[in-house]
Amino acid sequence: MHPVAVQFNHVSFAYPGVADAFALRDVTLDVAVGARLGVLGPNGGGKSTLLKLTLGLIRPTHGEVTVFGLSPQAAALQGLVGYVPQRSGAEQAFPLSVRQVVEMGPALRLPPWQKLSREQHAGVEAALAAVGASAIATNHVGSLSGGQFQRVQIARALASRPKLLLLDEPTVGIDVAGQQQFAELLSKLRDDFGITVMVVSHDIRTVASGCDRIACLSRTLHSHVAPAGLTPAVLAEVFRHDVAAIFGDLHVDAHPADSCSGHHHHPVQIGVPNK
Amino acid sequence: MNTIHYLTDPALRGLFWPGVLTGLAIAIMCSGLSVLVVLKRLAFVGQGISHAAFGGAGVVATLGWMSAAGAVSFGAFGIVFGFCLFAALAIGWLSLRGKTEADTAIGIVLVASMALGAVLLTRASHAHGASRGVSWESFLFGSMDGIGWTDAALGWGSAVVVLLTLWWVRRPLVFWAFDPVVARAMGVREPVMSLILMTLLALATVTAMKLAGVVLATAMLVLPGASALLLSRRSGAVLWLALFIALAGVVGGLVLGFEADWPTGPSIVVVLAGVFALARVRVAIEARQKHPNPRAGALQ
Repeated sequence: MHPVAVQFNHVSFAYPGVADAFALRDVTLDVAVGARLGVLGPNGGGKSTLLKLTLGLIRPTHGEVTVFGLSPQAAALQGLVGYVPQRSGAEQAFPLSVRQVVEMGPALRLPPWQKLSREQHAGVEAALAAVGASAIATNHVGSLSGGQFQRVQIARALASRPKLLLLDEPTVGIDVAGQQQFAELLSKLRDDFGITVMVVSHDIRTVASGCDRIACLSRTLHSHVAPAGLTPAVLAEVFRHDVAAIFGDLHVDAHPADSCSGHHHHPVQIGVPNK
Repeated sequence: MNTIHYLTDPALRGLFWPGVLTGLAIAIMCSGLSVLVVLKRLAFVGQGISHAAFGGAGVVATLGWMSAAGAVSFGAFGIVFGFCLFAALAIGWLSLRGKTEADTAIGIVLVASMALGAVLLTRASHAHGASRGVSWESFLFGSMDGIGWTDAALGWGSAVVVLLTLWWVRRPLVFWAFDPVVARAMGVREPVMSLILMTLLALATVTAMKLAGVVLATAMLVLPGASALLLSRRSGAVLWLALFIALAGVVGGLVLGFEADWPTGPSIVVVLAGVFALARVRVAIEARQKHPNPRAGALQ
């Protein structure tokens, strides 16, 4: 397998019609296979744009994005990428059970005449169990709470056996207990499923508790890679970013790269385990 | 019983059986689509597409390809279908460009098609004389008159195409309809899914138009699905219920039309609307049984 899951090579992006206002500027990013990378930043900082570029939903204005060495579109078509959006556009009035929704993931790549294999059915059950949704597998999808539906979406992504899972603001609207469960789920994703995970969030708790690498993004990006996981110093630094975001400062101004202290700073490789 | 007489009398069988068979094809074809139409909130889009058929009918009448009774040839069917498809694409294009809201786009296409149809049908009446003129009423509300074996063959052909296509693309189509954001991210091509759905809607509308008319064709694409979704939340049951309700609507409407001497299109819609009303009453009764006195609970 390609050793780097996601690679951004000097990527900039401006939405059409606002060519001078870059949503992302000169972002260079390597996410190693197996990493759990949290991308933290203020609203409007370019976090969702980063995910859209990784998914191939938009193309960079400058630079190049690859996913496992492929174009993002090719990676998506090969089923290498799972995605759980911030705000689901799912129409929950559909007459579907939770299990049917999860089965949508692996069934999408099958030819019309082929049914799910025994292994794929087992994968669906394993995904439901991983997110703690086995007990509600027969429930109508419209009867779920926001947190339950979030877990079902993660199960659908997992059942497709992706190599990379992208989560956009996964704990919005979820209570503290649910956030703790989510952090445990992130650990399980890497340990049991061997999946590379990218989480973007503006919530310090989501990123700090569930990820082992953190990148800060506010149009430009730099990383905070703690040699032995997250240290209090990193958390304090990241928390300062959060405060800066709340008060509306652009991160890059509030926290220029050369002022980083108390932790290693790698402007290029993010999420790559330290040697 | 007029119904038995119409369908068994050797002299009348050739007049009524094509209409009955066309109606059954429409019911089967529209039932599957109607569930998607309701869930994707495409009822108004269907209305826009069906009214575009009026413009297509105007072109057909201008070309002199339509008999006084309104019977159509394959060429005429193609023209009307082309108009409906064009309308569907125009609605999609106008609303996807982002500068026109979808309902505004539908409204524009709808009135433009109706105006074009009205002008061309009037001109055709003048040009070809009364014998080649066409009844506006039969276009607007449908009619059994003039439905021949060609229409029945086209109806069943369309039904087979619609059902086979739905079966072939069911997985990406349902994924996209249910969760378009994630479907796009998973590589489902939204424009392709949208084009397929619009094409199937146009085909179903053109076929349903013959029996139910331009104004009422949408009912065939909305009421079976809307009623079925009130009665069940399981996908298999919803599809079977929609099929059963659509067939009941067509058969019941035809019988009602034969017995009461009512026009067929409105009769079918009356039956389908009646089924929807009954389903709604059932839901209300069930809700009342589950929560006998919701006001009391709220005040505690």
